[in-house]
Amino acid sequence: MTVQQVFNWLFRPATDTARDTAKDRMRNMLVHDRLELPAGRLESMEEELIAVVSRYFELDQDTTKFDLQQFERKAALIANFRLLRSKC
Amino acid sequence: MALVDMDIGLRNLDILMGLENRVVYNLVDVIEERCKLRQALVKDKRMPNLSLLPAAQTRDKTAVNAEQMKVLCNDLKGLFEFVIVDSPAGIESGFQNAIAGAEEAVVITTPEMSAVRDADRIIGLLEARKDEIAQYRLVINRIRPNMVKNSDMMSVDDVLEILSIKLLGVVPEDEEIITSTNRGEPVSGTDNTRSGLAFRNIARRIRGEDVPYMDLDAQNGTWITRLVKFFNPAAVRV
Repeated sequence: MTVQQVFNWLFRPATDTARDTAKDRMRNMLVHDRLELPAGRLESMEEELIAVVSRYFELDQDTTKFDLQQFERKAALIANFRLLRSKC
Repeated sequence: MALVDMDIGLRNLDILMGLENRVVYNLVDVIEERCKLRQALVKDKRMPNLSLLPAAQTRDKTAVNAEQMKVLCNDLKGLFEFVIVDSPAGIESGFQNAIAGAEEAVVITTPEMSAVRDADRIIGLLEARKDEIAQYRLVINRIRPNMVKNSDMMSVDDVLEILSIKLLGVVPEDEEIITSTNRGEPVSGTDNTRSGLAFRNIARRIRGEDVPYMDLDAQNGTWITRLVKFFNPAAVRV
């Protein structure tokens, strides 16, 4: 093991732990389970949403973000569109 | 208190309680009226207040239906203060029958991903029957404090957060469970084990007592307890 590797291991990001990976996978999986949402369905909806908003606004595509979160046992879809200017 | 083994075809509670030699009749015999309810109940060896209604070993889950279970649970409610129904694994008819007469539910999971996912499914099914099942709480079984500490395993709080459910208790992984089961003496009745204490705490919480959660980190203890443990492993148990 090189010094660099030891350093990287010591200061590895917190999300690398098996515990955090399990948590992230669990959250994602349960949102899909609870909504009975097949894989890929969300992505295709996101594309459609972007297409709709793009008809009215010029979007900063890089910062557009979709996030499925859970509150209690209900899911919420948080969409974030950075609007540059309107398309008149 | 009555304990009902609903895992028809895969009878096991009699073994765990060391009562396998006393089983004469079973749950299906009661439902098919081959015997009276009282005849099928097997009294525990140590606790005369505790009775087991064993599952049938030679039948399967289709031997009873939800309506029959409701009647049976009602009859048991008349005889006992607490009736605990042990549900079979799965979400099929066995589970549906087991919760047919229930007023409260205890969901048991381990902190592993597949178990938590299954627990989530069960919670969803319990939620759909809110009218009958007033509350449900979670027991997290076989937690390994050292692995949680090293971030190798989900913690109690992680699981609670993911499932959004109230906690009833936490049982640490304990080899003592294997030995006590082999002896046919439930670990809840043994004084000096951590898992036994955890089970007794759960029982007290079900009775409505406000019992603090045990500090699982205390397993390693201070240097003094570690030293004592080194010379006499059996002596230190919280």
